[in-house]
Amino acid sequence: MDIGLLGELALTGALVGAMYGLVALGIVLIYKTSGTANFAQGAIAMMGAYVTWVFAAGIGLPMWLAIAAALIVMFGFGMLVERTMLRRMIGQPIIMVVMLTFGIELLLRGAVPGLLGSAVKRLSLGIPQAPVFLGDMLINRAYLIGGGVSAALIIAAIVLFNSRAGIIMRAVSDDQGASWSVGIRVERAIAVAWGLAAIAATAAGILWGSMQGVDWSLSLLLMKALAIAILGGLDSIPGVLIAAVIVGVCESLATGIIDPLIGGGTRDIVASVIIVITLMIRPYGLFGHEQIERV
Amino acid sequence: MKLTRRSFVASTAATALIGLRPALAADEKVVRFGMPQDFTKIYTFVTAEYSQGQRDYFSLINGRGGVGGYKIVADVSDHANDLPRAIEAYERLKREGMVLCDPLSTPVARALVTRALEDKINLVTAFSGRSDAADGTVFPYVMPLSPNYWTQAGIIVDFFRQQDKDLKGKKIVLVHIDTPFGKEPIPIFKALSEKLGYTFETFPYTPPGNDQAAIWPQVRRAKPDWVVFWGAGVGQTTALSEAIRNGIPMDRMSSSVWISESDMEVVGKDATKGVLKFEPCASGRSPKIVADILKEVAGKGQGAGPEGKIGTAYYNYGVMMAAIMVEGVRVAASKAPDGPVTGPWLNAGLTAITDFTAEGLLPPMTVTSEDHQGGGKGRISRWDGTKFVPQTDWFSANQDVVWAEIKKSAESFKTTGK
Amino acid sequence: MFYRRAGIRHLDYRHERQLWPLPFDRLLVGIVVALALAAPFIVDRLYLVAYLLPWLIWSSAALGLNLLMGGAGQIHLGYGAVMAIGAYTGVHLVRFGAPLEIAMLVGGIASAVIGVVFGFAALRVKSLYLAMATIAMQYIVDFAITHIPGISGGGMASIVVPPVRFLGVRIEGELPTYYMALLVCALIALFLLNVNRTALGRALAAIREKDYAAEIIGIDTFKFKLLAFWTSSFIGGVVGSVLVVCYLRNVSPEQFDLDHSVQVLAMVIVGGLGSVLGSFFGAGLVLFAPIVFNNLIGFGTRLLGIELSTDLRAHLPLMLYGALIILFLLVEPLGLAKIYDNVRNYFLVWPFRTARR
Repeated sequence: MDIGLLGELALTGALVGAMYGLVALGIVLIYKTSGTANFAQGAIAMMGAYVTWVFAAGIGLPMWLAIAAALIVMFGFGMLVERTMLRRMIGQPIIMVVMLTFGIELLLRGAVPGLLGSAVKRLSLGIPQAPVFLGDMLINRAYLIGGGVSAALIIAAIVLFNSRAGIIMRAVSDDQGASWSVGIRVERAIAVAWGLAAIAATAAGILWGSMQGVDWSLSLLLMKALAIAILGGLDSIPGVLIAAVIVGVCESLATGIIDPLIGGGTRDIVASVIIVITLMIRPYGLFGHEQIERV
Repeated sequence: MKLTRRSFVASTAATALIGLRPALAADEKVVRFGMPQDFTKIYTFVTAEYSQGQRDYFSLINGRGGVGGYKIVADVSDHANDLPRAIEAYERLKREGMVLCDPLSTPVARALVTRALEDKINLVTAFSGRSDAADGTVFPYVMPLSPNYWTQAGIIVDFFRQQDKDLKGKKIVLVHIDTPFGKEPIPIFKALSEKLGYTFETFPYTPPGNDQAAIWPQVRRAKPDWVVFWGAGVGQTTALSEAIRNGIPMDRMSSSVWISESDMEVVGKDATKGVLKFEPCASGRSPKIVADILKEVAGKGQGAGPEGKIGTAYYNYGVMMAAIMVEGVRVAASKAPDGPVTGPWLNAGLTAITDFTAEGLLPPMTVTSEDHQGGGKGRISRWDGTKFVPQTDWFSANQDVVWAEIKKSAESFKTTGK
Repeated sequence: MFYRRAGIRHLDYRHERQLWPLPFDRLLVGIVVALALAAPFIVDRLYLVAYLLPWLIWSSAALGLNLLMGGAGQIHLGYGAVMAIGAYTGVHLVRFGAPLEIAMLVGGIASAVIGVVFGFAALRVKSLYLAMATIAMQYIVDFAITHIPGISGGGMASIVVPPVRFLGVRIEGELPTYYMALLVCALIALFLLNVNRTALGRALAAIREKDYAAEIIGIDTFKFKLLAFWTSSFIGGVVGSVLVVCYLRNVSPEQFDLDHSVQVLAMVIVGGLGSVLGSFFGAGLVLFAPIVFNNLIGFGTRLLGIELSTDLRAHLPLMLYGALIILFLLVEPLGLAKIYDNVRNYFLVWPFRTARR
C-alpha cells in the first residue's frame, strides 16, 4: 500500500477523531458527575451550531462574538435542562434517564430546525481552503484547526479537573452522599457539569457545522462520540483524547484499506466493532474505573 | 394550571380523542392530490422548497380558474420517512378521494407501490422510488414523470464524451453515498464503460456523508479525468468542500439532480465555480411560469414560503412536477370532462401527455402507457458563481442501455413480486 | 365500585392463582376480546388498516422486549435488528417456496440464535454498557444486511413479499392480515401474561432484582439470561416477519434501524416496564402521537386561520412527541399501566380512599 496515502489517512483520521472527541467529552463529563449517559449530546451540538448561526447571520455579530455568545447561551441551556428535567429523575433506574435523554433529543431535533428553518445554513469560520503540505501528504487546514481546537479543549478539561472546581466534581462523581456530608453543593456541581458538556457540544457543533453546513444531521455525531467514550472509559477525560485518536485513525484506515476490498461503508462499522470488542475485553474502557457493586 | 398527574393525563386523553378524527373533505369539482412528504427526517434538504414550488404552482392554476373546470387541492403533510405514518397518511388521503400521491421518498414510494397498484391510485415517484417504474406495462400506476437516475447517469456520461470527444482510456470516478440511492447508477456506468472504453471506479462513503475525509485523498490519488458525486444534502456539500481541499478541478466534477444554489452557497459560491449538474428543467426565475408565479402568487402575498426561494433548483423541480400533474388533469378533463374523478381517469390523462414543455420550463415531454418516464431528456448546467448556466440543449442519450436495465428489473418484479 | 371484591371465595389454589380473580376484570377482558374479533365489521376501514393493524403488530414487539426488559431487567437497544433478522429470513424463505408458518418459525429461530450472541454481552456488562453493546450490534446487523446482496436483495435493496397463505388462508386484503396479526398478538400476550407464574418467570424476576443473589440461591444466571434473550429474540423475529407480511408488504433495511429500536424501547418504558397492558398502551402512544399531532395541528390551524411556516408545521409533531415522552417520564415514570392501575385502585376501594403517594 502507498505509505503516503496511509500516513495522510492516519493523520487526517486522528484530527477528525479529535473533533468527534469533543462531543464525547461532554458525554464523559456528564457521566462522571451524575452517572447518566446523555444521548441528547448530538442534538445539543446541533442546537449550539444553530444558535451560533442565529447570532452570526441572524443578528449579524462578528463571528468571534457570535461564538462567545452562543457558548454562554448553551451553558445556560445545559444547566436549565439539568435543573428542570434531570433533577426529577434522581433515583430512577438508568433506563428511564436514558429514555428521557432520547426524548430531549427528539424535542430538540423537532424544535430547532422547526423554528429556525430546516434548510442547510452556512457557518463560516474564515478558514482558508488551501491545504497544508507535509511532504507528499496533504493536510486539510480546517481539520488541522478543528483537531487542534478539540485537543486544546480536552486538555483544558483535564486541567480543570485538577483545579478546585474539578476536585469538587470528582468528589461528586465518586460518592454523592459523602460529598453532601462534607458540604459540597452536589446539585450545583452537576448543573455545572451539564453546562460544560453543553459548551463542549457547541464547540463541536460549530466546528462540524462550518465544514458541512448547519442542519439536523449534526445530531448524528452521537454514535461516534459514544464509541470514543466507551473505548476511553466513560469516566476518564484523558481517555477521551486517546480513544478519539484511536477511533479516528482506525476509521480512516478502514475506509482506505478495507473499503476497496469489501466495497464500501466500513466506516460506521468500525465504531460499532470497537464498542463490542472493548465491552467484551475491557468493559470499562482503556482508562475507566471499574464499577464495584457492593452486595 | 399546575402540572399534576391528573391534569396532564386528562388533557392528553382529550387531545387524543380530538386528534384521531381525520379531517373531512369538501364537495366541489376538485382533483385531490395527496402529498405526504418527508419534511423532518432525511429529505429535509429538498422537501421544503420542492413542496413550496408545487403549492405555488397549484395556487397559480387555481387563481386562473383551475384547469378544465377543475380546481386542484393539494393535501400536504409530513411522514418523516416513517412507514406507519406514511401508510396512515396514504390510507387517510385515499379515503378523502385522492387520485395521485407524491411521497418524494424512495423507501416510502417502494412500500406504497403494491398498494397503489391495487388501489389504482397514481403514485408519482419524482426522480426517486423505483427506476424500473418507467416501464408502464409492468407498473401501470407508478409514474416517475421525470428522468430517473439511470437516464441521468447516461446523459452525464454522454456529456463527458461530448467534451472529451472520446472517452477511451479515460477514467471516470463515482463518489457516492453508500445507500441504494447512491449505488443505483452503478450498473449504467459499468455498462457504458464497456461500451465507450473508459475505466470506472467507485468510492462509497457512509451516510449521511458528513465525514468524507478519508475518501477524497484516495480520489486524488486515483487521478480521475471526471468525477461524478452522487449524494444528497450534507453529503453533497461535504463532497464539494473535500474536493476543493484536495485540489480536484471543479470543472471536471458533475452531480445528479440533487444539488442546488444553497449547497453552493454553503461551500462557497466562488470556490465551486465550474461544477456541473444534471438539470431536468430550467432553473432560475426566467422561465415564464416562474415569472408568472412571482407576479400572480407571490406578488399577492399568497406564496407558500419565502420569496427568496422562488427560482432555486429544488423549487423549480416542484413546479415542474406540479406542471406535469396539472397537464395530466387537463388531458384527462379533455377526454372525459365530467369525470368521475378517479385514479384511472387521471391515469388516462397522464399517459396521454404529448410534447409538453410547460411554456419553456421543460424539454418536450411525451408520456405513454409504456414509457412513464416521459422521454428521458435533460441537460447539463454549469455553476458560474451566481447561477447554473446550461451548457447543452435538451438531449437524451444512452437510452438503449437505460431501457435494457429497466426491462431487466421490471421483469424480475413481474415474476417474483406481483 | 365496579371491581367488587366482596363475595369472591377461593376453594382451591388453582382458583386463587387465576389471572383475573375479579369478575369485573374478566368482563373487561371479554369485552376487549369481543371488540378485537369484531373490529373489521364495526370499525371503518381506515382505522383498521392504518391504526389497529400496526398497533397490534408493534404491541407484540413491545411485549417481546418487555419480557427482556421488564422481566429479566436487561437493556436491549437493538430490538430493531432482531426483528430485521426475522423479517429477512422469513421473506427469503417464502420467496424460496417455503410455507409461511415454517418461514415465520425459522425466522424466529434465526433471530433467537443471533439474539443469544448479543446476549453474551449481557453476561459481561450491565445496564448502560449493555445498552451501548446492543446499539453497536444493531449497527453491525444493519451493515451486514445492507452489504450482503444475498440478504438485502442487491441493487434495489427492497424485497417484495409474494402472496402467501397462512393456515390455508390467503393473506391479502384487510381481513386476513388483521386476523393473522391478531392471532400472533394474542398468543404472545397469553405467553407474557402467564410467564410470571412459571419457573422461567420467577427465575428472571430473581435475576432482575439482584443477579448475584439469584446466583447464590442456586439459579443459573448464565443459562437464564441467555434464555431470556433467546425467547425475547424469538418473539421479535416472529413479529418482524408478521410486520413485513401483513403490513408493509416489502422489506428494506431502513425499516428496522436504530430509530425503530428506540421506538420500541419508548413503547416499553412509557407503557410501563413489565406490564402486558402497558405494552399495548405504550405502543398506541408512540405510534399514534405523531399522527394525532399532525391532524390536530392541521385542524387547529384551519380553525384559527393561522399560517405556520412549512418548517414549523412539519416539525411541530416531532417536537410535541418528544415533549410528550419527556412529560410522561417526569410525571409518571412507572408508565401508562400505572395510570390505569391508579384508576383501578380508585374504583376498587371506592368510596374509601387509596393511600396517597
